[in-house]
Amino acid sequence: MSIVLSLLAQLLHIALILLAAPALAGAIDWLDARFAQRSGPPVLLPWRDLVRWSRKIPMAADNASPVTRLAPAVGLGATLSAAALVPSFTLGMALSPLADVLAVASLLTVARVAGVLAALDAGTAPPGLTAQRSSALAVLAEPALLLSMVALALMAGSFNLDPIIAQQREGILLPVTASAVVFTALAALVFADASATDRGADAIYSGIDLATVRMTAWCRRLVLLNAVGGLFLPAGMATADSGPIGWSIGLAAWVCKIGFFGVCLSGAQILAGRIPRRSLPDLIGVATLLALLAIVMVLASGGSA
Amino acid sequence: MVSDPILLFLTIDAVALLLLGTFARLMPPAACGFLAAALCGPGALLCLPSLLLHLPVTALVLPAGPPGLSLHLSLDPLAAVFLFVVFLAGTAISAFQATTSPAATVGNLQVTIFCLAGIAFSLMAADGVSIAFGLAIACATMRKHPVWLATPLLVLVAVCLLTPSGFAPRFDTIRAAPIDAGHATAAVGFTLAAVACLTWPRGGERCWTRDALTAGVVLPAATYLLLRMIADLPGSANQAWWGIVLLLAGGAVAVVQGWRSAEHADIDAAVAALIRRQAGVAMTGIGIALAARAADLPDAASFALAAVFLLSIGGSVAATLASLASHAIGTSAGTYRFSRLGGLVHLMPGTSGALAAGILALSALPPGLGFASVWLVFQAILSSPRTGGLPAHLPLALAAAALAVSAALATAASVRLIGVAILGRPRTPRGSGAQEIPSPVRTVLLLLAGFSLVAGVLPGPILRLLADPALRALTGASANRLALLSFAGTSPGYLALPVFALLALATGGVLLATRRSRPEAKIGGIWSDGMASPAGLPFGEPAAQSTGAGFLPALPAIRFILPPAFVVRVANVSAYRWFGVFGSAATVQPDNDGGLPERPRIATVRPPSAIAGMWLLLAAFAALLLVLAVAG
Repeated sequence: MSIVLSLLAQLLHIALILLAAPALAGAIDWLDARFAQRSGPPVLLPWRDLVRWSRKIPMAADNASPVTRLAPAVGLGATLSAAALVPSFTLGMALSPLADVLAVASLLTVARVAGVLAALDAGTAPPGLTAQRSSALAVLAEPALLLSMVALALMAGSFNLDPIIAQQREGILLPVTASAVVFTALAALVFADASATDRGADAIYSGIDLATVRMTAWCRRLVLLNAVGGLFLPAGMATADSGPIGWSIGLAAWVCKIGFFGVCLSGAQILAGRIPRRSLPDLIGVATLLALLAIVMVLASGGSA
Repeated sequence: MVSDPILLFLTIDAVALLLLGTFARLMPPAACGFLAAALCGPGALLCLPSLLLHLPVTALVLPAGPPGLSLHLSLDPLAAVFLFVVFLAGTAISAFQATTSPAATVGNLQVTIFCLAGIAFSLMAADGVSIAFGLAIACATMRKHPVWLATPLLVLVAVCLLTPSGFAPRFDTIRAAPIDAGHATAAVGFTLAAVACLTWPRGGERCWTRDALTAGVVLPAATYLLLRMIADLPGSANQAWWGIVLLLAGGAVAVVQGWRSAEHADIDAAVAALIRRQAGVAMTGIGIALAARAADLPDAASFALAAVFLLSIGGSVAATLASLASHAIGTSAGTYRFSRLGGLVHLMPGTSGALAAGILALSALPPGLGFASVWLVFQAILSSPRTGGLPAHLPLALAAAALAVSAALATAASVRLIGVAILGRPRTPRGSGAQEIPSPVRTVLLLLAGFSLVAGVLPGPILRLLADPALRALTGASANRLALLSFAGTSPGYLALPVFALLALATGGVLLATRRSRPEAKIGGIWSDGMASPAGLPFGEPAAQSTGAGFLPALPAIRFILPPAFVVRVANVSAYRWFGVFGSAATVQPDNDGGLPERPRIATVRPPSAIAGMWLLLAAFAALLLVLAVAG
């Protein structure tokens, strides 16, 4: 029975992610506009865009290799794989044994790499420049993400997300100061990720491929917010065998969390302004240092494991 | 005295290689290459029974050498693993040399054969003289700097330091007697010096044979030396600080070589640096294993050593593959420069695919072999001791940071190698004339690529099959205790095959979903954001594509005062290498064109977008937080 429930919870989670990613993108765009005293676009506009793009006839360059054709699918596949591993409304889903934090972070890297390779395959200068900038930023951002995950794993004694979240929910993910430092680092990374709106690589796609690439970006943002929400605000999360009532409570809590983080992200972008591209390395550098500091704090405190 | 025919056959194999190298000039190069492959292949197969059936340690005494110092050979699990690796790489390199076009020279074939024979002898050695004899053959063949020929002498001195006084420098004697801590520490120092000499980057002219041998044979042999001389022979004299030195040195190597691989202008040099980055990760793993063993934590030690064995077995194959494929591409396209390659996925699809597979295994992306190794090292850090206060833990934190940074650098280097050299359009007319290599050579590369991919997806079974006896011998823990590919326990670990299956399923699902709703695509020309194409180039300027620069972030500016002799005029230098001080590739040249004597001045090395003040602020912030953390 528990296997059936965990499988059902996993399927519901994946459906939820697929539905929520464009909705969150639309909600953030709407919030951005409202904070700027403008009437915002419809919240469901990203869904309409997806439908519109999927009906268009795509254009393909005659020099494109199979990499260009496969990259959008690999990117979305890797992002969805990462999304499937990060719990949303319940713990103990069918894929939870695979939910290794380093694997999740690296699957997001695989998705980014697929996009960069497609940009370089275009054979023109602008996407290549975008690919270079993306790689240069990732050299700073990926260590920060990895170190944040390692710090959390050191606190919990496991690289698996479920035990980490379970310990955080019970308040035994110690030391608390290190947990707060990791939260700050991850928040800085999410903010930097949202500010890096360099969409030069999108120029090489049209039609259904463009829809896939945009969906990948929306899913990535949701995965990051979901991870931050699950790791640092796990209140209300159910377990796989807690049944429909527990799941409903978990679902409501998840919607509130994602909504809260969406408002915070949008508000931070309005208050602080979008971070200029030249300042992004500094922000990510702060995140890296904070994550390293958290590791030192955990090791020096002689924590669990 | 012969206790097992396998060791006898392996010895005969190595002697036959020596004879083949001696008489190589008497036969056609292709025949010589095939013969070398025919000797190496059975050598690798001969190691398998010892690994798979967990056969006991065997010994052989050769009645040769100085009086009282006969050559002692032995085949234990550690030697068998590395002999398998070396013979496998040797088979691939010899087969490549036998089938490549233009054919390899006899000189290059002799280099391969003597190097393989020498390294095989040193791996089977059970005393100081034998190991020095084997290393002397290999080092002399690789034609390194005369100083580097000191490697065998340094190893011999290290073995003698470990040997009790009055006895011959044999491994069984060393294991039977207690070792003085001071002697053991000095032996570790000599071993590190020998390994540094053995693996120091080779300057001078480009030689793909030596590059491939370094990747597939010499670097694993260096790993073996570290394991044998520091982890195995000293036994209970093992001290934790040896491990700290090794993990810090390994972390530094991993970061510096990762950076070089992401910035070098030639693909062969970039691949070589990527391979050395993996050697740095392996060194970090050995360091963590030593520290964990000193703290009596066999699980942490076995995780770290499992990473080392995984890098040695699969990483060596991937390194050989990447090295050979980059040579094939450079030869066919007529250049090794990133800025002159491109579009090879259309011109050389098989070779490009093989190179991509090798690079995937050398990077830290799932489901590659490199990711599994990095995961194991992080798992070892997770299982490491939590006592000793901040000074004991700071090296572990730094090692974790170095691993994370080097993983990101390896990803950037891999993207650059595949995206710039293989994808896109040919950048030069010569590059557009590249042709696929002959099918026999391509088959060799594709077989290596297949092994690399399988090792990445099935790291657990590979370790259990090939490295379990060696792991048991070094740590007392079995590979079965590793959480790889096991759902048991509260921490199931990295499940490579299921993660790969999930990725494949998700990607396949997206492909199916998008294909169903995809209208037929229109094929068009290249889109350059509406910019007009240059005259005579209706499809755009191919040289406008990325040339492989700019894949790394700018480093902060550092102001420093240089003495007059080293004052440089950086403003006049078109390109500089940040890490040029670590290698021979420094491009900054002294510039004293006037008659006036140079005076001290402040030279500023400033990348364009660096903001030094901000970085200093961040460093001060981090230091403050660190002080707060120490103060509790």
